[in-house]
Amino acid sequence: MKFFKRIIQVFGFTAMAILAITSCKRENKNNQATVIDDASKIHISGEMEAELTAPPFVPAPVGNRSAKKLKIHMEILEKEGTMTDGVKYVYWTFGGSVPGSFIRTRVGDEVEFTLANHPENKLPHNIDLHAVTGPGGGATSSFVAPGHEKMFSFKTLNPGLYVYHCATAPVGMHIANGMYGLILVEPEGGLPKVDKEYYIMQGDFYTKGEYGEPGVQSFDMQKAIDEDADYVVFNGKVGALTGDNAITANVGETVRLFVGNGGPNLTSSFHVIGEIFDNVHIEGGSVLNKNVQTTSIPAGGAAIVDFKVDVPGTFILVDHAIFRAFNKGALAMLKVNGEENKALYSGVVQEGIYNPEGGTIQTMPTDTKETVENKSKKTLQEKISSGKQIYTNTCFACHQANGEGISNAFPPLAKSDYLNADVKRSIDIVLNGKSGEIMVNGAKYNSVMTKQTLTNSEVADVLTYVYNSWGNNKTNVTEMMVLEVKNAH
Amino acid sequence: MPINKEHISSVNKAIVRWGICFVLFWTTHADCQSKMAFITGGTYVPLYGRDSLQVTISNFFMDVYPITNEEFVAFVRKNPKWKKSKAKKLFVDGNYLVQWKSDIELDSSQNLKAPVTSISWFAAIAYCDCQGKRLPTVDEWEYVAMANENLADARPLKTYNQFILSWYEKPKTYNNSIGSTFKNYWGVYDLHGLVWEWTSDFNSVLVSGESRKDVDKDSNLFCGSAAIGATDLMNYAAFMRYAIRGSSKAKYTMRNLGFRCVKDKN
Amino acid sequence: MRNIQYILIFIGILLLQFSCRDGAAKNNGVAIFECPMHCEGDITYNEPGNCKICKMDLMEVAKSVRKVEADYISEESIFNLTTKWVTEENRTIELKDLKGKTLVMVMIYTTCKAACPRLVADMRNIEKQLPQENRKNMHFVLVSIDPETDTPEHLKAFALENQMDEEHWTFLQGTKDGVREFANVLAMKYKQISPIDFSHSNIISVLNAKGELIHQQEGLGVDNKETILKIKELIR
Repeated sequence: MKFFKRIIQVFGFTAMAILAITSCKRENKNNQATVIDDASKIHISGEMEAELTAPPFVPAPVGNRSAKKLKIHMEILEKEGTMTDGVKYVYWTFGGSVPGSFIRTRVGDEVEFTLANHPENKLPHNIDLHAVTGPGGGATSSFVAPGHEKMFSFKTLNPGLYVYHCATAPVGMHIANGMYGLILVEPEGGLPKVDKEYYIMQGDFYTKGEYGEPGVQSFDMQKAIDEDADYVVFNGKVGALTGDNAITANVGETVRLFVGNGGPNLTSSFHVIGEIFDNVHIEGGSVLNKNVQTTSIPAGGAAIVDFKVDVPGTFILVDHAIFRAFNKGALAMLKVNGEENKALYSGVVQEGIYNPEGGTIQTMPTDTKETVENKSKKTLQEKISSGKQIYTNTCFACHQANGEGISNAFPPLAKSDYLNADVKRSIDIVLNGKSGEIMVNGAKYNSVMTKQTLTNSEVADVLTYVYNSWGNNKTNVTEMMVLEVKNAH
Repeated sequence: MPINKEHISSVNKAIVRWGICFVLFWTTHADCQSKMAFITGGTYVPLYGRDSLQVTISNFFMDVYPITNEEFVAFVRKNPKWKKSKAKKLFVDGNYLVQWKSDIELDSSQNLKAPVTSISWFAAIAYCDCQGKRLPTVDEWEYVAMANENLADARPLKTYNQFILSWYEKPKTYNNSIGSTFKNYWGVYDLHGLVWEWTSDFNSVLVSGESRKDVDKDSNLFCGSAAIGATDLMNYAAFMRYAIRGSSKAKYTMRNLGFRCVKDKN
Repeated sequence: MRNIQYILIFIGILLLQFSCRDGAAKNNGVAIFECPMHCEGDITYNEPGNCKICKMDLMEVAKSVRKVEADYISEESIFNLTTKWVTEENRTIELKDLKGKTLVMVMIYTTCKAACPRLVADMRNIEKQLPQENRKNMHFVLVSIDPETDTPEHLKAFALENQMDEEHWTFLQGTKDGVREFANVLAMKYKQISPIDFSHSNIISVLNAKGELIHQQEGLGVDNKETILKIKELIR
């Protein structure tokens, strides 16, 4: 009998276990099913006007609010803006900014979208929101002539971060002129709480003139088709998020970035120098990757990244296709304030000389000797003011507005011992670039400065400006000195 | 010979009288019948063709300039039903002549010699009809507009496309005077660089606004949609003109949309 | 005296200017008659005679009354269009002759092989879903995009072939300009792409008895629930 009892017992347990497993499985299935079903069946209660924000800011999180009828009114403006100092560009915008206003919704919201095309605008436009389930993502229903508006509505079914953009022919040109932005669909209950949230979007621009060529620059169709960008920038212009415009956080805070890429052509290799993303919603979707250095954001795609900032300093955000950062503007800054934490980051502990084979920099010698042809006599003041213009176009991004540089990355030019010690060396660096380790004002730098494509007189002017600013030794660098250095090779 | 003072004065008076009549006639009729250029017809490939890609245009006359604010003021004075307070909602939207100060007066910021804008297709048709003219077809307009200063078809030139594209980036060109852009091969001014212009069959442009779908031959939406395919994917300027046509409705009025008239050869 | 002469010449020239085409619109001299007892409701006739029901002499409708009635057309009514149309029965009408009934309108051409047969089917489908007794309060109007080919004879043949020859079906042939204008009033797009073929948008429009646009259904074989609902509201 006992034996039988055992058998029954064992059998019973096994059966229960199996039942438990299968019921578990079934429950899982049901759960999934209900989630998907729910999105379209979520009841809306009440209505509200959506808060729209210009970058780099985002509206308040949805938190625990119920799904609502969410009214969005967005205006399209074609307007002139600044690409970089001295360079103007006519942007086509959603809501007056590039990227366009940030839209924040939650899953199940019924969005009532009104798209208004300003009467002064020349072109018809529309909007394709990647968050829309429906033909054209709303493009057909929102095709609107200048001086008119169109309304359509849609229900947000899938949580995630989505790009929106104009889809009117020629669609590439509308996007290339800045017609893109992000719409966030938060899951029920919202994303986990963080301390700071920002909105950043990369875009590539194609202008008639080369990078930095002053004046109003028009769109260059051929360069756009060739995918030969003059500018690759965050938030529509060079320096939109550097210096005084940098985004900020305090030590110990968690920062979430909603990062999009409007394209039209280039994929972004988004990277924050000196940080590791704790969490990345890959491609803006539901898959969470952890401990990521660089995340790929395709044109017309997005990602949500978050990380805790543990040490103070300026953190540089770049497209790690690095020439875009240094030569085309794809550079932004996050300034973190607070107490240093030597346990996490020490700064320089020890330094020495290491020279296994004698490391001079090899460059192709210029064999044609140049002479000064144009002996125009500029006054010191004229040279300084022209030099300032060149500085803001060419040097500012790395060496900063007041020559303060960026610690651990770009040496300072203000009160710089290295600079003041040797004028010829400075000229040589501007002409031929510099890589390898150098010591400036007691700190070690090891990075790369590319050779600058400036004329002799431009080199003279920009260096004269630098030497006559920020407590430097007031050297007046002449074109002749530049020529000498050039011909010495 | 004795000089007859009275005779001289009466001859003088007759000359003066006829002179006045002539001047009056000229001033009143000259702005009613604006100058036209003769366009020699021909065959060309527009951006959107029909069954064959080529389209044939007959000889016709086209207004040298777009209709100006001044001319349109004269028109509404004669045809009160087109005053902004009188025009029927079926034929104009709420922005018809929106900038005008009154039914027959421009705002001080407006230029009499600038092209009239904020007018609907119906109003444009009525104006041309009153002149014994008509609106150009899309194909006729595009045929004349592919010319630059020296060539009847300048479309292959990079500079031609670039000139038009740069207009889209200049604000408030609608307030510039007529004749302020180049005189083209046919002697016609301002087809590019001032304002968009109405065409009689603008609603033959079947772009839906979803430009990527329009590339498809989606026979569900339109029958005979094979003609939807564009002939020249590089002609961005033309794409924009077709887009503005596709986005318009006949009663729409826009600040950057005016018109000019044409007349058949006979 | 001479000054007066000049002024007269001046005024004469001005008058020439002012008379720009205004004359063409004023050709509405036809008298209208109706039964004084209104036996047939609002039905009117273009010539004198007897009422079919009470046999009384028809009376001419006072012109002032007609004017008020004409003015009654609202600003947004398609009856503001004054173009002439010919029906499949070879009658010449203006759109305002369709006044007083709910209108369901579509633009097609009879030689169309692709979308039009489906549009016609959609029209028939809408008709079928409406109560039989309401049909006398409705006009189903098919306007030809191709006035050159679609003569009244063609339209009649098409009506018979498609069994759409009852009273409440009307086919219209217009002029080239008239068709373009009508299409524009309904925001319809079309383009001739070969001598016998047109591209066109597929829109069925519902208008109330005053000629005002109430609803449009776009696409082929789409769900017509909303269209039916709107029509039912109008004919109630």
